[in-house]
Amino acid sequence: MSTKVLIVDDEIEFASTLAERLVIRDYDAKAVYTAEDAITAVQSEPPDVVLLDLRMPGANGFEVLSTIKSVDPSIEVILLTGQLKSESVVEGIPTGLFDYIVKPVDIAELVKKINSASEKRNSGTP
Amino acid sequence: MKIRYKLFFSFSLYILLAVILAFFSYNELRTINTRLTSVELVDDISNIILEVRRYEKNFLLFRNEESFKEIRAYLTTLKKNIDGIKIEIVKEIGTNEYTLMKNTITEYEHHINNLANNLRSREKLTTEVEEMGILLEQNLHGKDLDSFLTLRKHEKNIMLSKDQTTYETFQSFNPLNLQGNSRIETYRGLVSKLFENYKTEKDLTDKIRSTAREMETITKNLSKKEREYIDVTLKKSGKLLLFGLLTIIILGIVINMKLSRNIAHPIKRLEGITKKIAKGDFSEMMEVKGTDEIASLEMSFNQMEKQLLDTKISLEHAIEKLSEKQAQLVETAKLATLGTFAAGVAHEINNPLAIINEKAGLMKDILEMSEDFKHKDRFLNMIDAIFKSVKRCRTITHRILGFSRKTEVSIETFDLNDMMREIAGFFEKEMLYKSIHLDLNLKENLPKVKSDKGQLQQVFLNIIKNAIDAVHDGGSIAVTTDNKDENMINVAIRDNGHGIPEKALQYIFEPFFTTKEKGKGTGLGLSITYGIIKNLGGDIHVESEVNKGTTFIVEVPVNSELTKGEIV
Repeated sequence: MSTKVLIVDDEIEFASTLAERLVIRDYDAKAVYTAEDAITAVQSEPPDVVLLDLRMPGANGFEVLSTIKSVDPSIEVILLTGQLKSESVVEGIPTGLFDYIVKPVDIAELVKKINSASEKRNSGTP
Repeated sequence: MKIRYKLFFSFSLYILLAVILAFFSYNELRTINTRLTSVELVDDISNIILEVRRYEKNFLLFRNEESFKEIRAYLTTLKKNIDGIKIEIVKEIGTNEYTLMKNTITEYEHHINNLANNLRSREKLTTEVEEMGILLEQNLHGKDLDSFLTLRKHEKNIMLSKDQTTYETFQSFNPLNLQGNSRIETYRGLVSKLFENYKTEKDLTDKIRSTAREMETITKNLSKKEREYIDVTLKKSGKLLLFGLLTIIILGIVINMKLSRNIAHPIKRLEGITKKIAKGDFSEMMEVKGTDEIASLEMSFNQMEKQLLDTKISLEHAIEKLSEKQAQLVETAKLATLGTFAAGVAHEINNPLAIINEKAGLMKDILEMSEDFKHKDRFLNMIDAIFKSVKRCRTITHRILGFSRKTEVSIETFDLNDMMREIAGFFEKEMLYKSIHLDLNLKENLPKVKSDKGQLQQVFLNIIKNAIDAVHDGGSIAVTTDNKDENMINVAIRDNGHGIPEKALQYIFEPFFTTKEKGKGTGLGLSITYGIIKNLGGDIHVESEVNKGTTFIVEVPVNSELTKGEIV
């Protein structure tokens, strides 16, 4: 079974294109563009890995993060960040971030990180 | 000599001169006064002489005893008065004149006495002549009596005219009948005596008049000499006064000029130097002369000038420092603004860049899945070129976004060693990938730091990232913390990388200066780092040697100078 990846980003073109590229690479990837859709998607169809942009207009990325963790703490979250901002990184680590990746994304690096996250989730879940 | 003594002495000199002048003038006045008394006495003498002469006239006219007595009384007073001013007279007209005057008076007195005696004897003689005439007239008769009566007529003529011719007529009348008569001879003898008496009287009168005139002349002479003396003395004292006053005035002018020059000259120079000082020229100083008040004023002035100069120099130094600080502040503020602006731009660019990247990626994915067609390789190459350019843009935007600072400072208390560990953890994967060895020499029990943690993280992230970029694969980086003193913690980041050329060292904190190859560095990292650390009250130094490595030493204040919420 292919790894389920949920992409949460308000940049539709970015998120949808990235999802398409991941599908090409045999991932079960899906893109949502709002925090609400993200929460609905997580609750209805819990993914293995979430690629999350913390900065979305009118939404708190951290709320999405805590909802994800409340549905299933083993869902791994990789942060999609526009900048190498230490603040976000440092604040994210204690709340259960797996890793982060900086936009524009190097697809090879992203794939590596998704695989690591997936492996962790599978090994962590009995 | 002190000025107050100079003033005192010059004033005393004036007073002394004035006293001397007054003394001489007083002396002259006293002399004049004495002389005036003498003049009065001489006038008295003249008056007495006039009185004497008045009574002399009376006496000569009436031959009365009263006038004679008056003359004698006045003569006594005259002699007394003359004796009273003997000294003055002797001084004025000499001993000879004095003796002459005395002798003249004595002579006059003598003549007057003689005249009086002469008059007394004449009365007796006249009576005797009269008695004898009467006796003879009674005893003679006839022709004898006639002859005798003629003789008596001649006698009466003598008594009347008292002249020589009448007397000779009387003598020559000697008729024979009267010759040999002893009584007539006696009578004739008495008449001869009487005539002699007349002659003596005339002689004495002449002598009296001449001596009286002589007395008058001497007195007038004396009076004239006295007046002349007073005149001379007056002129002399006038000259003395004039000379004294002139001396005082000239001396006064000279002394005042000298004193005022002594005072005014230094004051004028003081004024000149003060004006120069006001214009900022401290090149001149007062020349200190002597030991008076002016000299001490000059010395005090010089000291003041020196202190003013010192103050001016330290002020200029302070202003210089202040402008330096201000320039730094302006620089920091500029950097902060630039950072904020750049961050905004970078953030806006980053999202479309991500879309370009994904679209190009998808294009590549689709191409790779497609069958070969003409120009497929060219398309793939072009997509790779797009990737390369996106990567370059990404590096730039990441750099700007990563190191641009927040505009708000948020102060919290934290452990600097913990923060260094977190940052090390952040780079762990990259260093592992490049086989870089990291040494953390963190001193235990460092004081907790109260500062903006986020901004400090940016500082160290940037320096360590630079170190990672500088070292070759398999190189090493050492991070050391130590407390410099109780207020400052030193963090040293040492690498054994390629180092920074000496010429570049002085520019490394300048914005847009980079030693990295084209497209790899923005030249903003270290300038932002510098701005942050300065802003937090710390400092940053760099030591480097080409091909041996670089050490950044960051001084972190235990208590940041900034308060929460301050805009930087």
